[in-house]
Amino acid sequence: MRQYVITIKRHALLLCGLLMLTFIIGMAIFGPSLSFIDENLEEVTHTLTDGQLEVAPFPPSREHVMGTDRDGRDILSLIVMGASQTLLIVCLVTVIRYLVAIPLAYMAHKRVFGIDTLVKSLNHFLSYVPTIIIVVILAMLPPIIVSDARPFALVIIIALVEAGRAAHTMKLDFNAVAEKEFMLSGAAVGASSLRMLKAYYLPFLYQKLIIYVVSDLGKVMFLLGQLGFIGVFVSQELVQVEIGMFELRNESITWPMLLMDTFMDLRGPVWIIFWPACVMTVTIFTFNMIAQGLQQLPKKRDSFM
Amino acid sequence: MGRLLRNSIVFPLVIVGFVLLLLLPKNVDVQQEGALSFSADYPFTFDLYKRNIEQFIGHLWTEKGFGETRSGVPLTEHGERYLKRSMKVIVAAFGLSMVLGSLLGVWFFFLRDKWLGKLFSSLGWALASIPDFFLFIICQYGLILLMQKGFPEFNLFSSDDWYSFIIPSLALTIYPLFHMIKMTLVTMDHESSQEYVRTVLSKGMTRSRTTVHIFWNALSTILNQSHMVLLYILSSLPIIEKLSNYNGAGYQLLESILDDEVIWAFMFFLPFLAMMFIVMVLVELARIWLLPRDVSHV
Repeated sequence: MRQYVITIKRHALLLCGLLMLTFIIGMAIFGPSLSFIDENLEEVTHTLTDGQLEVAPFPPSREHVMGTDRDGRDILSLIVMGASQTLLIVCLVTVIRYLVAIPLAYMAHKRVFGIDTLVKSLNHFLSYVPTIIIVVILAMLPPIIVSDARPFALVIIIALVEAGRAAHTMKLDFNAVAEKEFMLSGAAVGASSLRMLKAYYLPFLYQKLIIYVVSDLGKVMFLLGQLGFIGVFVSQELVQVEIGMFELRNESITWPMLLMDTFMDLRGPVWIIFWPACVMTVTIFTFNMIAQGLQQLPKKRDSFM
Repeated sequence: MGRLLRNSIVFPLVIVGFVLLLLLPKNVDVQQEGALSFSADYPFTFDLYKRNIEQFIGHLWTEKGFGETRSGVPLTEHGERYLKRSMKVIVAAFGLSMVLGSLLGVWFFFLRDKWLGKLFSSLGWALASIPDFFLFIICQYGLILLMQKGFPEFNLFSSDDWYSFIIPSLALTIYPLFHMIKMTLVTMDHESSQEYVRTVLSKGMTRSRTTVHIFWNALSTILNQSHMVLLYILSSLPIIEKLSNYNGAGYQLLESILDDEVIWAFMFFLPFLAMMFIVMVLVELARIWLLPRDVSHV
């Protein structure tokens, strides 16, 4: 019993973070079937109570705990319904980023094909030009705007823009591991590059890698939020609105999308943006908490057994 | 010195890279197919790209600069006005996070065995994970509520009152500030394990004077963070300016990118790049002339 208490106390941060993550994922999966969630996102643009006409957006009330948006859709339902898509996009971006970054980092470490120079220059470029500026420029390119696969293209853009930075960080880790003595044994038995990566490098980097991935999840969520304010979203489609006029329309619900009219909402129905921004903050907080908890792990486990 | 040289080479390349990114062709070709039916085509060829580049260079060449607006006002005049506004926000946020961040870092280092220091090291990351936009929304909302309750009213959404830059700067300061505190704490902790610290303490130097020594020796590493702090502030600046209706260079940069105004976008971005370069140069020069050298590798 005491053992358990000690373990829980030691890893309180990590456990708490994982608990919060479970809650968020649970909300994404089971939320839509809860009774107070309006799955169809019904649009109630106006109501008539006691002969008084009221027009959406409605402030938070017993009926709508977080209020409604300008179309009269319940904010709480929007958040719950949008959770799975939002989390999916964030995870997809991060996973693709690291799937690209790990081989890049290894090749840069081994200095093949000038990848080393590529990673270095990408990193230099990113240390001067903010990621968000690059993403906005690329997201506005016509082949991407008109593409049917626009959501996927945008996910890849966001993933790749920072892949260089991720690769650079990991390259330094590869360099550090390469200094270790056991590396010589791998070289002595003639292990191939791939085998070296799998059996000699990565096992010592897994923990770091997970920390990088988890903290990147938070960063990606932050970036998506920022893009939301600008009006650039992952799931948008080009629609003809008037003769010869085209406009990007939102086809599905994600959290950043609710932040689109912040500029107007901030001065009036602030609940429309407050709650989505709050949920995003909690999610970022959760990811950072897990990353922080993971960082504390190695110090506690200095054992040769 | 090597770093100074390397960055002097990298800096022009970054400018070229940014312009090339900006000039990617975005031409729209709307064609009428029927009475009310149109189709939009987006030709994306290398020829167009080349033409864009030639046009851009040609423009800079013939105008001997950024040129003028239709009404004959030089673009730089507009740029200057917006930049002046943004500079207030940037300088306040940058100065505050660098100076206050490192000073608080020293203080927390001094207290690191007391409860306050422990509290900070366990909560610092939590405060740093609040996104600046959320912080800004809370600030605005809170002030609006306070004003409704009778708090003296002032203009929340403008860029021309003397106090307009305060809330945007505060929202931008929070993350870099905690980053600086953390980095100062870590660097000084590392420095405090050096042999000379034991020596001066054993000779009877006071703890606070020793801390000053440690800080001075760690400063070179601490200042390394200045680039990252500035980059963070400049990345978030356009968003916060947009939210607060603070019509500065960051917001204008964003708008000109979205409207595909290449010359404008270039003009607004150039000062930001230059700022980062200048800060880097100043830090390097300080390191060469002012700060103690790292002797551990000698």
